[in-house]
Amino acid sequence: MSSTIALEANGLSKSFPGVKALDRVNLRLMSGETHALMGENGAGKSTLIKILTGVHRPDEGALSVAGSIADIHSPAAAMHAGIGVVHQERNVIRGFTVGENIVMSRMPRRGPRVDWPAVRREAKRCLALLDLELDPDTPMARLSSAQTQLVEIARGLYTETSILLLDEPTASISDNEADRLFRVVRRLTEQGTAVLFVSHKLEEVFAHCDTVSVLRDGRSVLESEPLSAHSRDEIVDVMVGRSLAALEVPERAVDRSRPPVLELSDVDTASGHRGVSLELRSGEILGLYGLVGAGRTELARAVLGLDRVTSGSVHVRGARVSIRSVRQALESYRIGYVTENRKEEGVFLAQSVTRNVAITVWSRLERMLGYVSTKSERALVQKYVTELDIRISGQRQLVGQLSGGNQQKVSLAKWLAAKTEILIIDEPTVGIDVRTKRSFYDLIWKLADDGLAILLISSDLAEMITLADRIAVMDRFAITGEVENSHDYDEMSQSIIRLIHGHAAVT
Amino acid sequence: MKRSTLAFLKSQNLTLAAIVIVGAALIGITSGGGFFNPISTRTFFLFLAVPILIGLAQMITLSVGQLNLAVGAIGGFSACFAGVLVADLGLPAWIGGLAAVLVGGIAGLLNGWLVVATRINGFIVTLATMTILTGVQYGLVGTRTISSTAWQPIVDLGKASVLGVPVIFWIALIVALLLSFAFGHTVTGRRLLASGGNSVAAQLAGISNDRSVIIAHAASGLLCGVAAFVTLASLSGVNQSVGGDWLLPSFAAPIIGGVSLVGGSVAVLGTVLASTILRLVDSARAEFQLAPSWVNFVVGAVVLGTVALGRVREAQDARRNAPPPASLSTRPELTPVGDPK
Repeated sequence: MSSTIALEANGLSKSFPGVKALDRVNLRLMSGETHALMGENGAGKSTLIKILTGVHRPDEGALSVAGSIADIHSPAAAMHAGIGVVHQERNVIRGFTVGENIVMSRMPRRGPRVDWPAVRREAKRCLALLDLELDPDTPMARLSSAQTQLVEIARGLYTETSILLLDEPTASISDNEADRLFRVVRRLTEQGTAVLFVSHKLEEVFAHCDTVSVLRDGRSVLESEPLSAHSRDEIVDVMVGRSLAALEVPERAVDRSRPPVLELSDVDTASGHRGVSLELRSGEILGLYGLVGAGRTELARAVLGLDRVTSGSVHVRGARVSIRSVRQALESYRIGYVTENRKEEGVFLAQSVTRNVAITVWSRLERMLGYVSTKSERALVQKYVTELDIRISGQRQLVGQLSGGNQQKVSLAKWLAAKTEILIIDEPTVGIDVRTKRSFYDLIWKLADDGLAILLISSDLAEMITLADRIAVMDRFAITGEVENSHDYDEMSQSIIRLIHGHAAVT
Repeated sequence: MKRSTLAFLKSQNLTLAAIVIVGAALIGITSGGGFFNPISTRTFFLFLAVPILIGLAQMITLSVGQLNLAVGAIGGFSACFAGVLVADLGLPAWIGGLAAVLVGGIAGLLNGWLVVATRINGFIVTLATMTILTGVQYGLVGTRTISSTAWQPIVDLGKASVLGVPVIFWIALIVALLLSFAFGHTVTGRRLLASGGNSVAAQLAGISNDRSVIIAHAASGLLCGVAAFVTLASLSGVNQSVGGDWLLPSFAAPIIGGVSLVGGSVAVLGTVLASTILRLVDSARAEFQLAPSWVNFVVGAVVLGTVALGRVREAQDARRNAPPPASLSTRPELTPVGDPK
């Protein structure tokens, strides 16, 4: 091939407080190729995309575009360098029209004025590329989520780019719509555009990509290799990392004769679950696996009383319950939830460790007139700091200053302090580096051994196979099957992926 | 034009316009037509200019998701500064008038720069500059009132009318028209709205949110300066109390007019109409010699009612077309870009 290097990244590193998101990552994009970038959640794909588009700056490493060093310090600079992007999150302005959203990065203008006819014309042109019949004057707020995603794609096609980055563009659109996108991609690559395609869908990658790079835990594990040289199994293996999957798993004995502490029978919810049934016993770790958007967190919301259960029944310790609020879930039924959004929902970054852990037990500690004695608070918190081995300089330290792993332990500690008996843990190790992960696994096993019933939500397959005793697979708001975990990675990944994709097994 | 006519009919502007007409008619009838005599209408429009200008000044900061507590302080300070320049230092009246507008703009620019440079919340920044400027204003004029005779040419302008309506009011209307054009049809205006509507999306489209914040505060201050100029033209003098009662109406007008408090929207016509309604309330008070505290009571209640109604409408909209929330929080998906996830 006579293609040239469109974009090259050498030794990119990027750290965020508490986690090394990228560690000396390399990438080489050739003009005219479709290059797949793969990796599990938290592998560093989004960070890489954000560096290439000027949202983040790398701590180390260099970028060059078309052979010369490029300083991409802002999204505007990225656009200037000819890098176009379709972001994963749908970042649209709901108050604007479709047309204005598409052309926002470079408004057609006449002097200081917006050239509205040109806005409509340009928007129509981009929409037509995707065979979309959408009036550019439609208010953005009126679109469905798939339409919004398509507009986001149309926006990426607006400016002439020599490099196009597509960050999971097909996550929420139909196959039909995805096909149209791939037709456009093919036309662009024929014209010499380099396309970087981030996707979880192996089918798509193998059908449409030429080259592949894989990230795992922030490192390059496959660097710009021809896709034809690899089988699907090989790609999945390097993505997941067999070494981690093969972690030593402790001998666990769960007494299955005991009655379940949490039992869902044929539950429908307001958020869209249909006929969900689950049983969870104390001392057991039940994994709930599924792709992002499968409805796992939403199920947790329903159990906690945040979303309505519309039919079916929920039993806690044998008694039928109807939970109306998180407070009731905690105080009456001892159910806790460790959120996946640690920084936003799990901890108070600007508060001390003491406050963060003790928040769930204030009502228990309070004496007359709501007075909480600092001494009793500190004593209680110290117990969990020691038990969970939270590394802090002192209880007064602000949680915002801790590493991601320690923040997560604080987020977990408050539920232990509240003496929960059923704990839902959602994506426990997202944004936590490999070394800390292992200590977290040990902790979760220990909690289960101490009699806690744990519902573990994770999209990390290796983590699931390492931790869970049983794995329930969820797809599109329904449980598609349940498997006993043999901890044999090959066997388990096969059967789980089969449960997600129905009969279409990965071969 | 057809699009904007349609939008007018659909929006709450129609309701506001109806309230203006009915309210004016009621006051007119109960006052036995006295409200419609030329002197009364003149006074009505003369003192409508400042409410419109400060309402628009607040609207601009709200459009980018900021607010400006210093509206009254900037206006009062600019007016007194100009008064001192002309009356004490003997500068020509027009220089003083121009200085009032410019000083307002500079104060606003400073607000914006402080918000961006320090990353301190705009509420705190403008609260601080409000306090500082109010202090400086007092330092400038103390307890005296500087008589407007010192800037007679500006006072003459304040007395002039075109088509039976005070020139002062035309100034406010022209400012409103310019703003309407700026937000509707200029790239800068659309960028401000983009920043206010979704700062992450704006950033990813290469728009500088910092720039939007600075421009918005500067423009807001500039309008406060224009309001100070109008004050010089319409009052018999300036003293330390000028601007002291501007804060509530400056928020009331855009909020009643339909501007979202979280940013991303403007409503120029709505703000003008809402200012007119507030002015009518004030006229009614004067007409029927009610206690001034009633005006505050009514304005406060109307603001609260409007915001509550807006919330209800928002909740209805959300219920109609929102996908199930993917996370536990009910906040909109506005994670800061600097945050790894």
